[in-house]
Amino acid sequence: MSLPPTLGDLVVLLPVVTLIVFAALTLLFGVFTRERNALGGLALTGVIAALAFTVFLWLQAREGGVAVTALGGAFRGDALSYAFSFVILVGAGLALVLADGHRVRLELDQPELHPLLLLAAAGGLVMVSAGDLVTLLLGLEIMSLAVYVLAAWRERSRVSEEAGMKYFLLGAFASAVLVYGIALTFGATGRFDFAGIAAAAAAPGFASLGLLLLGALFVLIGLAFKVGFAPFHQWLPDVYTGAPTPVTAFMSVVVKTAAFGALLRATGTLVEALGVGPIGEVLPGVLVVLIGLTMVVGNFGALLQSGVKRMLAYSAVAHAGYVGLAVLAGGDAGIQAASYYLFTYTFASVAAFAVLLSLMDDDDRGDRLERLAGLGRRRPWLAGALAVVMLSLAGFPPFAGFIGKVVVFQAAIAAGHAALAVVGIATAVVAVVFYARVVMTMYMREPDAHAPAARPVPRRTAVVLSIGVAATVVFGLFPGLWLDFIARAPWWSAGF
Amino acid sequence: MIAALMVLLPLAVALALPWAKRPAVHRPLAVLGVAATLALGVFATGGAGSVEVPWVPALGTYFALDATGAGGVLARIAAAVMLPTVLWAGARVADRPQLFLAWLLATLAGLVGIFLARDLVLFYVFWELTLLPALAMLAGWGLTHRRAATIKYLLYAVAGSFAMLLSVLAIRPLSGAEGYRFDQLLAAAPLLDPLTQTWIFAGFAFAFAIKLPIFPLHVWLIDVHEQNHASGAADVAGTLYKVGGFGLFAWAMPLLPAGATALAPLGLALGAFTAVYAAMIATRHAHLKRALAYASLSHMGIVAVGLFSLHLAGQSGSMALLAAQMVTTGGMFLVSGMLHDRRGTFELEAFGGLARSAPALAAVTLLVLFASVGVPGLANFPGEFLSLLGAFQSAPAAAVVAVLASIALGAFGVGLYQRLFQGEARERTHEIKPLEVAVFAPIVALTLWLGVAPAANLTVFEREAAAAQVAAAPVAPPTDAQASGGAR
Repeated sequence: MSLPPTLGDLVVLLPVVTLIVFAALTLLFGVFTRERNALGGLALTGVIAALAFTVFLWLQAREGGVAVTALGGAFRGDALSYAFSFVILVGAGLALVLADGHRVRLELDQPELHPLLLLAAAGGLVMVSAGDLVTLLLGLEIMSLAVYVLAAWRERSRVSEEAGMKYFLLGAFASAVLVYGIALTFGATGRFDFAGIAAAAAAPGFASLGLLLLGALFVLIGLAFKVGFAPFHQWLPDVYTGAPTPVTAFMSVVVKTAAFGALLRATGTLVEALGVGPIGEVLPGVLVVLIGLTMVVGNFGALLQSGVKRMLAYSAVAHAGYVGLAVLAGGDAGIQAASYYLFTYTFASVAAFAVLLSLMDDDDRGDRLERLAGLGRRRPWLAGALAVVMLSLAGFPPFAGFIGKVVVFQAAIAAGHAALAVVGIATAVVAVVFYARVVMTMYMREPDAHAPAARPVPRRTAVVLSIGVAATVVFGLFPGLWLDFIARAPWWSAGF
Repeated sequence: MIAALMVLLPLAVALALPWAKRPAVHRPLAVLGVAATLALGVFATGGAGSVEVPWVPALGTYFALDATGAGGVLARIAAAVMLPTVLWAGARVADRPQLFLAWLLATLAGLVGIFLARDLVLFYVFWELTLLPALAMLAGWGLTHRRAATIKYLLYAVAGSFAMLLSVLAIRPLSGAEGYRFDQLLAAAPLLDPLTQTWIFAGFAFAFAIKLPIFPLHVWLIDVHEQNHASGAADVAGTLYKVGGFGLFAWAMPLLPAGATALAPLGLALGAFTAVYAAMIATRHAHLKRALAYASLSHMGIVAVGLFSLHLAGQSGSMALLAAQMVTTGGMFLVSGMLHDRRGTFELEAFGGLARSAPALAAVTLLVLFASVGVPGLANFPGEFLSLLGAFQSAPAAAVVAVLASIALGAFGVGLYQRLFQGEARERTHEIKPLEVAVFAPIVALTLWLGVAPAANLTVFEREAAAAQVAAAPVAPPTDAQASGGAR
């Protein structure tokens, strides 16, 4: 490792550094000012600046055609990092604005809200750009610690406290498992960095294949917890339901994308390192079981829910299963498919939570399905937006979610996992039922006599919602805007 | 270029309709949109009839449409039948008519897209897009029990669609085709080993069998027709959604000849059974729309028999029958709307003797009804005849059963006419109105044209069926197939 960092390192780290600097700035200003709107603006500026740097670096790297590294290879700037950083920052920006619009009403108005959101996003960026397992763990902890606190953000709310506590305890346990896995992997190969692990395992006379497999399984389980693969998803519905809704929106996009970026790097390396022998088949085999289970549990779980927020939580589990198909496929096609899926899921998910937030009570409750009854006539715009989002999540063309399904299923089938694709499609039919239930409730049921009076949608929420719906339509009609852009980078697999 | 406009124009009108403030412009705008689409269809020949633009190069999909083949014929007929439907719906749907018309136009855009698409992913996109208007019209304008019918329809449709999606996504990576365009797939997919072909074909066939529909996947159809808006306009849109037979003809059978051969016995058996079973129910049913739905189902059984005969005459005949069905069954659903207008019910016992006070209405109905049951010289006959002829060549058993069905359908036609128009007249009824004359005009014209001059369309169908069989020929011999199966 070459310390101290050079100027070149700093350029590669620019997006992360920007976020951390702005986190510090908002924290400082938060102490001195009561003007929270200005803080929100400052935080958003930070996200946009980081986004601009990411795009700039991405375009540069595309032109150069090679991945750049910083801090002696601990931090990578390749297509995976840039694509996933982009998605994380877009999601963070949207969730931030969403939180700002409902901050006061939902009593989330503490000065530390914005810095923590920024820090969590910074942690996510570190995770997806990690060149070794230690950096990955570092990013995971930066992100997780911030989100543990955010989940428990609502004062005097037992469910929120419970959510935070549950997330923290189980998350800490998962981190321990991950650390264990990293240690075992190091024991087997003597290396932390992905390239080194793969090289050590490929060297002639490598004898610790069993140990490496054990380490790989622990790493997989630690990350499976974060992405929400069944059976490690148990925390997810409770935490998503209990956390303040803007935080739930943030988790469903930022935390998920970051965890998948890390999972893609780790499994990509470890599957390659374990080779093609009988031992090498164990890790993909375990992944197949986890992903199959995730699609079944997520979709059937969502089917049984009567609260929309909890339904979206289970549907987040189900979508993790579909992204899992892309992880399993691996390689360039897998990474591209996963990035597109998560990119479009980000817009749909944030938009769904935006609609939900506009309808829920001031105590952040009241997400029952009945509340949507008659929305089609009372609030045609809101209902139309939610209908588009639900159709997209269900995988109907011409919305983005359809192409998302196309790319992940095609990647999985091309990689020889047709049976798992069949399971995925069968459970996707189940998913249509609970998404359609939302749409049919809005358009086919009369509202309750004592339904609460319609509240106007805050302007910032309307902006988020418009962006989410517009992107869902545009990227559905022109998926090439994303897919062709990232496909043209010739140095995908160089990351491993 | 014109081919693209045929999709985009009705779509644009559909998107514009909800914004039109003045009620007076709704119907003219919709009628104009459909008429313009039809006009475009007539001029979409030669080079202007097809378009091909890369859509998502990373996925290998194209925005490829072609109006010069069999799909073009069906698209033109769909537009021609949509014309009286829009005219009728604009006058008969009282609740939010502009939205209903918009959904009809969206249906037309989707249908044209389905029939013209020459890229498999694009075909799937239009296929699903057309489902949304059908569901919306049922859910938003249906009768009392529409909720259950909507859910049933949605579940059947999506189960089929997703099975097909899997086949769509499997066919390219497994065959190694360059892209999803028809010609690219045709160069690679027929070379797949027979077992893989059979699995992929099964995915397609499941979806197409639901949409055709054939027994035992037909349950949704009857409820949907019963619960649709009483004008019958949504039923016509449903009738035009004849994508099951077309999908088999244009996509699944040419691309997967070995799969089609493997599953043909099943298709023949189910098709023949559907034809007889549905015809028997139709003759006894006391509810006008349900009876029409069963009669239509019976015809779809004959279409399936013709297609799975894998015989040139049978396949092109079944396409001709499909086209004629759009006109005659569509026409009958419009008649059902007119009759509901007069009596406020679809129960057949409420009718009878209408011919005394409305002889003209009776005469026109008789023409369309007899055309639909296959009277020679009218629309359905050439297609039905050729379907059965083809079946007799390669699957005589199924053909014999299907012939029984066409006899039963004849009895159904006569019986229905008697119950509606003859016998004791309970009360006087309106004679045919000017609007109804206008609605009937294109239906009658098409009925006669398809019956008297079927050759023009049949040539197109036959050319395409023959081309598909030629493409399939080199891989069809069993020795060849076994060799490639063993090599895998």
